[in-house]
Amino acid sequence: MQAVNEQKNVARGIDIESMTRGPRVSLADETICLEVKDFNLFYGEKQALHGINMQIPKNRVTAFIGPSGCGKSTLLRCFNRMNDLIDTVKMDGHLLLDRMEINSPSVNVADLRRQVGMVFQKPNPFPKSIYENVAYGLRLQGVNDRATLDKVVEKSLKGAALWDEVKDRLHESAMGMSGGQQQRLVIARAIAIEPEVLLLDEPASALDPLSTLKIEELIYELKEKYTIVIVTHNMQQAARVSDYTAFLYMGELIEFGATDELFTNPAKKQTEDYITGRYG
Amino acid sequence: MSQRSSIKTWFNSGKPWVWLNAGAVSISLVMVVGLIGLIAVRGLSHFWPADIMELTYQEPGQPAEVLIGERVDHETVPAARLALSGVQLPEGQEFAQRTLLKVGNRDYFGLDFRWINDPWITDIRYPDGIMAIERREWGNFYGYLVSVKQEGEVVASGEGAYQEFLQRLERSNELMRQIKALEKDEIGKINHGLEEIRLEKRRLQMDDVPEGTLPYQELEEQKQQLNDRYAKLREELSDLYQALNRDQIMVRMSDGREVEIPLAKIVQVYKPNGMGITEKFGQYFHHVWEFVSGEPREANTEGGIFPAIFGTVMMVIIMSILVTPFGVIAAVYLKEYARQGPVVRLIRIAVNNLAGVPSIVYGVFGLGFFVYFIGGSIDEIFFQAKLPSPTFGSPGLLWASLTLAILTVPVVIVATEEGLSRIPRAIREGSLALGATKAETLWRTVLPMAAPAMMTGLILAVARAAGEVAPLMMVGVVKLAPALPVDNIAPYLHLDRQFMHLGFHIYDVGFQSPNVEAARPLVYATAFLLVLIIVVLNLAAIGIRNRLRETYKATES
Repeated sequence: MQAVNEQKNVARGIDIESMTRGPRVSLADETICLEVKDFNLFYGEKQALHGINMQIPKNRVTAFIGPSGCGKSTLLRCFNRMNDLIDTVKMDGHLLLDRMEINSPSVNVADLRRQVGMVFQKPNPFPKSIYENVAYGLRLQGVNDRATLDKVVEKSLKGAALWDEVKDRLHESAMGMSGGQQQRLVIARAIAIEPEVLLLDEPASALDPLSTLKIEELIYELKEKYTIVIVTHNMQQAARVSDYTAFLYMGELIEFGATDELFTNPAKKQTEDYITGRYG
Repeated sequence: MSQRSSIKTWFNSGKPWVWLNAGAVSISLVMVVGLIGLIAVRGLSHFWPADIMELTYQEPGQPAEVLIGERVDHETVPAARLALSGVQLPEGQEFAQRTLLKVGNRDYFGLDFRWINDPWITDIRYPDGIMAIERREWGNFYGYLVSVKQEGEVVASGEGAYQEFLQRLERSNELMRQIKALEKDEIGKINHGLEEIRLEKRRLQMDDVPEGTLPYQELEEQKQQLNDRYAKLREELSDLYQALNRDQIMVRMSDGREVEIPLAKIVQVYKPNGMGITEKFGQYFHHVWEFVSGEPREANTEGGIFPAIFGTVMMVIIMSILVTPFGVIAAVYLKEYARQGPVVRLIRIAVNNLAGVPSIVYGVFGLGFFVYFIGGSIDEIFFQAKLPSPTFGSPGLLWASLTLAILTVPVVIVATEEGLSRIPRAIREGSLALGATKAETLWRTVLPMAAPAMMTGLILAVARAAGEVAPLMMVGVVKLAPALPVDNIAPYLHLDRQFMHLGFHIYDVGFQSPNVEAARPLVYATAFLLVLIIVVLNLAAIGIRNRLRETYKATES
């Protein structure tokens, strides 16, 4: 399906090559934002992540790829402690955000989530107006001043490339928007509170090709200001938008490296099999 | 072979199911429509100003008599039953027709309904001159106007008498209104003031303030003032009463006797036989309005049922105010905060089973716990001076509402829990991911989205509470409440007062009334009104819910 979409985009003459490929990157030159050290995670008795070690660089797009159930979403949700909601989850090892232990009991989860924003697979706008959706995070922080809110809402919607489409109906319900618009609204909502990291969990998998393209363009722009981690099923998407890619399989990190490197010259046989479509 | 296969095809096509389902729905519909139709027709036809017939009636071996009355019912009865009541039909005739006539004039005839056998009626007439007089006592009076009197002197008779009568009736009704207002408001306030002074004195005594000191003197002074005002009002009242008793009418009954009726005893009068259709409708709506807005008279068999309507609505509203927050808070804890395990499961089972407890048991509980224990304690602490007469320690509006709130809280809890579990996980996660705490997520997103479900719970609760009678008899409903729970004496809303209720009113009128025939249509009318009120309350709640749904559409997507 996604491959078909891809072909359609090419057929429409959209040059993905030039749009996505940045300068060649190397992990050694980067500032590290998120760090994972010997990280294990269990759902009850079942181990879902095995000894993950990874360094995610600042202001870059890092993609997690791998077959369904390989643990990429689970790992992503660890970065803003979304897994706390599941009672049976147990973890050991280290997760560091700017060298701070994420799972430390002294960390305020709400504060952490303000620094590490998240966008989910299915668009999940609140049943409120477009304006109130974007202002939600700010209102949580006690910002109720109209002028400030107006400014931030406009800025965030512009940042999410949605402003021109919705500026005349800010106070209409967000539920009336299209799926792609809703997903961009959710991104606007996330960037309104200016997080440091943006976690995207298959942000385009529920969208049509054109909306997908818009989201991808957006990701490309957003990395100027944010560290982005994206989970995707779509390898072409990973190749298009990311600077670094991690391939996970059965809860283990098989390979992690610069996207160009990983896709053109994978170090592991499993990676090659996966990206050439032999399984998964 | 082909026959069988075609039946099988028909069966497999699913059509029998469709028919079965549609049939079930139609039967339900027919039942609902039939029920409402029956009580509506029986109840509402009561208010129609039917023609009054005058007939000559001759039982065999008796002198002929003239009867005046409204035809109420008509039936065919077997000879055997008639024989039991002492009526012998001619040999060979097995059935006979008989008519129930409302002859009124209970104070003169003893009974105001009479069965008459059709064969013995010799002549039926509908003279225009017959009046139907609604009286404050003794029910309706049917007869002809002879003359209008003022202090015993005839002032009008013959042609113009009826006009004169109507004018004077208007005056006497106006006087009656003034008297009612004086008695209820002014004298009520004075009584209230005197009671306050008595309580204040009692308080002083309990605080061991010596008799005759300044506070006592002040109270005495206030009491004196009130008593003076009362004396003045008494004078005013007696003047009004004198004015009220000025006029009388002389009327002739069906048997030719002429009797006097003071105008003070008359509510209204009309001549149905001479009325056109529009006038009849006018009179009809007048009757209906009187029924809905008036106070009951004569052991609830005459007059209106406004206090019962007011009591029912009031109780349901107070119950809603009590039950909604309580049920919602309990449901939020059970669903969102409590650790899901055997204990919560047990609580949930217990809550569900509470809904199945017979309502009279709640009445017993309400009486024992709310009225005697809590109410008694409140009296001990806050109304010491008034003891031994209870304030909150006796059945009243608050306790009835609380008892019904307990009765309906399981419904609200279950509905709210349902609503909470229907909120998509993604919405909660979306809120949490923006740095909201669990409480903030609940308040800002989850609870508003679950509001329609809460309203559903409330709708079910209201439907159940408004129809409940049994527990109320124990915790605050009475046959005849002396005052509404809301009036113009502070604190305006008297939660300790007993009140009237439509459901209980139906029971009381239907089963406790001495005048069965007069009460029957009122039972239907009251039942119809009760259904109507529940429908209105429900429609209001459904309206609110639909608006909420419109706002928080996400749950459905």
